[in-house]
Amino acid sequence: MLDEPLFLGARVAGKAYEVAVIDERGRDRLVLPVEARGHSFAIDAPRRLAVAFARSPGRHAVAFDVDGKGEPTAIVTAPGRHFFGHGIFTPDGRLMLASESDYEAGEGVTGVYDATGGFRRIGEFRTAGIGPHEIVLMPDGRTVCVANGGILTHPDYERLKLNLDTMKPNLTYLDALTGETVEQVTLAPELHKLSIRHLTIDAAGAVWFGCQYEGDPADRPALVGRHVRGREPELFPGPAETLRALDNYIGSMAIDTSGTIVATSSPRGGLIVFWDTATGRCLGQQQIADGCGVAPLQQGHVLATSGRGAIDDMTAAASLQIVAPGGGVPGWDNHLRRIG
Amino acid sequence: MTVFRSTGLAALILLVASPASAADSSGARVAEEFARPALAALAGSGETLTGAIGALCAAPDAEKLEAARTAFGAVVDDWGRVSVLRFGPLATGNRFERLFFWPDPRGLGLKQIQQVLAARDENAATPEGLSQKSVAAQGLPALEFALFGTGAESLAATDDPYRCRYAAAAARNIANVVATVSEGWADGSDFAAAFASPAADTDPYRSAAEVDGEIVKAADTAFQYIRAAELLPPLGKAIGEANGRRAPLWRSGLSFRLMLAQIAGVRDLVAVAGYAGTGPAGTSEIVAALDAELETARAGLAGVATPPQDAFADEADRARIGAANLALDHAGHVVADRLAPALGLTMGFNALDGD
Repeated sequence: MLDEPLFLGARVAGKAYEVAVIDERGRDRLVLPVEARGHSFAIDAPRRLAVAFARSPGRHAVAFDVDGKGEPTAIVTAPGRHFFGHGIFTPDGRLMLASESDYEAGEGVTGVYDATGGFRRIGEFRTAGIGPHEIVLMPDGRTVCVANGGILTHPDYERLKLNLDTMKPNLTYLDALTGETVEQVTLAPELHKLSIRHLTIDAAGAVWFGCQYEGDPADRPALVGRHVRGREPELFPGPAETLRALDNYIGSMAIDTSGTIVATSSPRGGLIVFWDTATGRCLGQQQIADGCGVAPLQQGHVLATSGRGAIDDMTAAASLQIVAPGGGVPGWDNHLRRIG
Repeated sequence: MTVFRSTGLAALILLVASPASAADSSGARVAEEFARPALAALAGSGETLTGAIGALCAAPDAEKLEAARTAFGAVVDDWGRVSVLRFGPLATGNRFERLFFWPDPRGLGLKQIQQVLAARDENAATPEGLSQKSVAAQGLPALEFALFGTGAESLAATDDPYRCRYAAAAARNIANVVATVSEGWADGSDFAAAFASPAADTDPYRSAAEVDGEIVKAADTAFQYIRAAELLPPLGKAIGEANGRRAPLWRSGLSFRLMLAQIAGVRDLVAVAGYAGTGPAGTSEIVAALDAELETARAGLAGVATPPQDAFADEADRARIGAANLALDHAGHVVADRLAPALGLTMGFNALDGD
């Protein structure tokens, strides 16, 4: 049973927000009601523990056992901070880091929480950028890669973007134990409105990033890139028609179980696009209306979820519907994560 | 064409001169009957403002300052309507922010305009120089401070020519940005062609559904903006947290006039798109429901009796503003949850409001 893959997603059933653990057939294994719309998760697979974050600019999160053992633990960030909806655990399970905003200062931070002490917030590290969104742990188990999306928001102003004229996204690597910035890369100056937001890591240890473009929609810059530590980031546009279909927006990223195929979703375009990690070549795409969640299923396969409730098993070449959309099934939010 | 100032005449000419398919589309109607007249009006009031400030600088007195302030109010009315077109030419090249840098929770605009005035920065006293400055120092909120903020009374005397030269440069720069947006919407531009007659080879729109999606999204965006940027921050969660100085244009007392113009702009945008007449059965009822919400919002804001600075903390006005805020929230739901699906637009939970 423990080897069976399980997946974690936030969703809405009618008007009720939930966090759900499902199996690879899309069947519910655990449903946790939550007060507000969720986003993504920090997962400690060896200890069967997960933290569900409220979406930006929420200030609440909840830690829970993915098998439903014990009581969930409520987490609240510090005054003057809000979550962006993403986080990680250190491999020893002792610390949980969450992407957050110090919004009066207009600076990104990662809140640091004691995962073995009731998720007390024990400090924070500057992310060396504004609007840190997804954060991932590098294969060394110690370096954290942060997508500083560059967009300033303030909770008093809901989700309005306050600095599109001056935004400067970057990819920053932090030492999870000291908070020291060990590397930072940016895209070309003319791409300063290309917000770097979502991340996944391939088998070779390269970071793949997915972007959302805040500039003139007609520009259509490449949205998917790769960064190898110590080198310049590379962008892969894919075919022009595919790039257009992505509509300047990547909503989520996942790597397949072999670590060689990246899947990127665009809910605006209603499609998932597959990329070869060795060459950056586009391998194909699948349609899924309002599809955003993607998670590794097996070699070449991802499980994809949609806001209308669809769950599909996809490869670059084929798509198999596991749960049909509509008919009152819960609608899935932006991210689907595999546990373990 | 410039002799025909009447929008009615312009629309008539379009009907005669354009292919039926273009004139029949929602995009063509919005371009011809909403965007171009609204931009022409803003260009006109912008010229009047530039002239009024020029006259004030040439021979300052209280009467000319009053005339400049009145002209500023007319620009705000026209900007409110144009501001709902936050896509295409207005969303390109930071033009929206150059015209109206708002919200500004950290007061960047105030800091920059105060610095400019204190330093008598010559680079900010020409339209070209100012256009290279931070967007926060360029647009209507910055010009409002020059005309209405602390020290503005000196504009009526001869002792502060710099402040007047800055105001003149800001007004001209605003007019220049508006002219660029107008070019983007002009008949014959690539954008206008794609918007009015989307086809497989046009960009950025390739289908009528993409254009309708843009129009519907613009309406929803405008409601979110009025609430999140203009109403909720000064309203605060409770009356004790109210702060009218967080409202846009509170110094000139034009906050609610701006919002009324924006609400009227959305109403007209949707009306001109013609969904009530051309959409599927039931669309008329949805547009009527939207109009009812907008009328509630309009009545609430129009009924505010105290200046913006005080209104959010005044019990009766706070109730009026609260009612308007609620109606705008409902209006957003009517657009996103009812109008969009009725038009066959697939705006999902993730697609409409992603992260």
